[in-house]
Amino acid sequence: MFLQLTLSGLAQGAIYALIALSMTVVYRATTIVNFGHGDFVMAGAFAVYVLVIYLGLPYVPAAILAVGILFIMGVGVSRGFIDPIKSGPHIGFAMMSISLGYVLRGGARTLWGREVFPMPQVFDMEPIFLGDLVVTGDALFICAIVAILLTVFFLIFYRTTIGTVIQAVYQSERGATLIGVNVRAFHESMWGAGLAMGAMGGILIAPISLLHPDLGASFLIRGFAAMTLGGFGSLGGAVVGGLLLGVAEQYFGAYINTALIDITAYLVIVAVLVARPAGLFGKTVTVRM
Amino acid sequence: MEPLLELQGVSVNFSGLQALANVTFNAHAGEVRAVIGPNGAGKTTLFNAISGYVPSTEGAMHFMGKPIHGLAPHEISAMGVRRTFQNGGLFPEMTALENVLTGLHVDIDSSFLGIVLGLREAREAEREGLARARRLLDLMDLGAIADQPVKDLSGGQQRMVEIVRTLATEPPLLLLDEPVVGLSPPMRDRMMEIIRRLAGEEGIGIMLIEHVIDLVMSGSDIIVVLSSGEMIAEGPPDEIRQNREVLEAYLGHA
Amino acid sequence: MSRLQRIYYLIPVVALVIPFMANEYLLWVVNAMLVYILVTVGFNLVIGNLGQLAFANTAFFGIGAYTAAILMVYAGIPYVLAIVASAVAGGVAGFLASVTALRGIRLYYLAIITLAFGELMRWVYLHGDKVTRGSDGLQIPQPSFFWIPLDSEMPKFYVFLLLTVLVVKATSNLMRSRIGRAIVSIRDNEASTASLGIHTARYIVVAFVWSGSVVGIAGAMFAALIERVFPESFGLTEIIVHFGMVLVGGTGSIVGSVLGAITLTALPEYFRQFPGMDELLFGVIIVLVLLFLPKGLVSLLCRISPAFNERYYRE
Repeated sequence: MFLQLTLSGLAQGAIYALIALSMTVVYRATTIVNFGHGDFVMAGAFAVYVLVIYLGLPYVPAAILAVGILFIMGVGVSRGFIDPIKSGPHIGFAMMSISLGYVLRGGARTLWGREVFPMPQVFDMEPIFLGDLVVTGDALFICAIVAILLTVFFLIFYRTTIGTVIQAVYQSERGATLIGVNVRAFHESMWGAGLAMGAMGGILIAPISLLHPDLGASFLIRGFAAMTLGGFGSLGGAVVGGLLLGVAEQYFGAYINTALIDITAYLVIVAVLVARPAGLFGKTVTVRM
Repeated sequence: MEPLLELQGVSVNFSGLQALANVTFNAHAGEVRAVIGPNGAGKTTLFNAISGYVPSTEGAMHFMGKPIHGLAPHEISAMGVRRTFQNGGLFPEMTALENVLTGLHVDIDSSFLGIVLGLREAREAEREGLARARRLLDLMDLGAIADQPVKDLSGGQQRMVEIVRTLATEPPLLLLDEPVVGLSPPMRDRMMEIIRRLAGEEGIGIMLIEHVIDLVMSGSDIIVVLSSGEMIAEGPPDEIRQNREVLEAYLGHA
Repeated sequence: MSRLQRIYYLIPVVALVIPFMANEYLLWVVNAMLVYILVTVGFNLVIGNLGQLAFANTAFFGIGAYTAAILMVYAGIPYVLAIVASAVAGGVAGFLASVTALRGIRLYYLAIITLAFGELMRWVYLHGDKVTRGSDGLQIPQPSFFWIPLDSEMPKFYVFLLLTVLVVKATSNLMRSRIGRAIVSIRDNEASTASLGIHTARYIVVAFVWSGSVVGIAGAMFAALIERVFPESFGLTEIIVHFGMVLVGGTGSIVGSVLGAITLTALPEYFRQFPGMDELLFGVIIVLVLLFLPKGLVSLLCRISPAFNERYYRE
């Protein structure tokens, strides 16, 4: 039972990790926390749904196309909505991102109302039985894809020139401007990348969950919890935080009370901020007078 | 005369970095005491330590005979030590009048309940504070800009408003962190005039951090020289001018 | 009394005739506006005047509503006392919320932890079945304000109007004093505030507790308004509504809070018939305000007369 829980926890956690990572990418690049991120994730999942069901595309091309759409949306958001208000108070960004999320959510609800949608099955695979352990095709798929995506991400980040440039801009925007990096384009591509990665998360979770306009909220809070646990701003921390959160939800739900699954994320947030605000891998964040 | 401020062996250590080491001197009422030294010498740290923003790791500090080491900034300020900040400590969204009114906070004794219910004693106290703030601004010829948000004022005007605010409660000890930076030469002279007048006529003890050596030499009574956290000299301008160690500390800093 | 102050006092007097000009439904919307005026005034104090990103407003709102409801249902407490209890409960919640700010937690961390507080409270309402009746909602017995039964929108209107005017005036008194200045100075430059002898922690607590009380009272009014209190009314969607009202009206401005509350109660209410449209409209309004009118609706008034600017003293 414990192993089973761990496995489902890791599968869920893998998605959280991906979402938290995508939020961190945007945060590191722009110091903005995209409070509407969950709704963009939902939009990515809905985009796949529309492409597959209404346009009849096969799953994989639809997924890739959806990710591309979200990337472009990210660039658009940065250029059209974030950049114009950059001289205002920081809280304006928070509100802008929330409101954009609202527009997406309202739009989805207007178009599709109160229905919930099952996503098309990705593939029909018999669950594998390893002793007492049941490994579903979906869990395997999710873990495998996320593992691949994360590996690709970190390879790009740490081993390529582009990755080094990104690291440099993360550390010092002014320095980057001095060496000729186009910071505005950087912000736009990071927003694009962040939303694209978030979309991947949404696309992955849809097969094991139902698609509905409010899907975003649960993503958002899990993403936050994972970022907080791993340490705000830490890329590796976001991944670790996501995995731990997924597993924690399963344990709390099974061993204490099923009602706790929904609220584990909040408990984690409060616990971390009270006990160790920097999270596992982050830096100290309090302001002392 | 009893010293206003007594520092004995004050040291400040930031996880390994010794920002201040064994600083000892006394400041007196009616005296203009300048603190100078190369960058990183620990001047602002000294002010931060005195005003309670930074804890001193060793040593003792007394203000008017009472210990102030370990106290919170607002407690030390309430006792009569007021300061300005290097980067300007004004409240940008508030008007000059409101800034000065905030400076008078500790002197306005309207009660919470009185304020909320609009009782007479509270309104009287507030009105008194308002009149006093207006008078202070008028005294400094700032009456015209009293109702402008300070972020819209010029650098010189902002400095003036900050001084008025800091002085509003007539504190016995004033710490001025680079009061003339960014001011034009005529404004600088005016500022130094005001400082000298505050010390000479009002009997306020003033300590100032300054880089403009001419002003320091002509405007202060005593100079304290810091270098790498240590006090390497203390004395009247004439002595300091000829002090070899001081010259050495400044060599390389034209 | 300045011309503007005369206008402010005139408005509630003129408003007295509203019930005779509006039907039951419209009056209900007006009553909702009054509730949300207090919600926004309370919220604006913390995020606009104190400048802290503390999103505990729905927690205060829900605690106010449930406190009033529970006391009326299980203890038969008269509505007037229930309102007082809600104010106290909201104040206590405000105090708890302030603890996080006092520990130095700021910005997004503060936002997240206070949001979590709100969601935890909602979980409590949802799972506190025996007492709160969970998702079925808690039906309150018909409230009476002293001897006046609140059995239709008209008596509710007069009671709500009275409460709103009193609370807004008290808040205005609070802000136009040394307390208000202390609070705003913390927002503008906390380090400097302490250098003026002001105990910043004390004023952070004052702002939070006042905010919690005001919104707690709004919660008690809300309970009387909708007559059945549900957990869903106090979730993440609700806090966005609150924030939207502050933003659209104008952060840090009491007049702005009133404008924002009125605007964003009326518009989505009209669109409630089309699911999703109200959210969509909300998002669009806020995006537009952020892009083109960042200081909120009150900034339009300020262009007409600088007297609408928020001032922190009384002449």
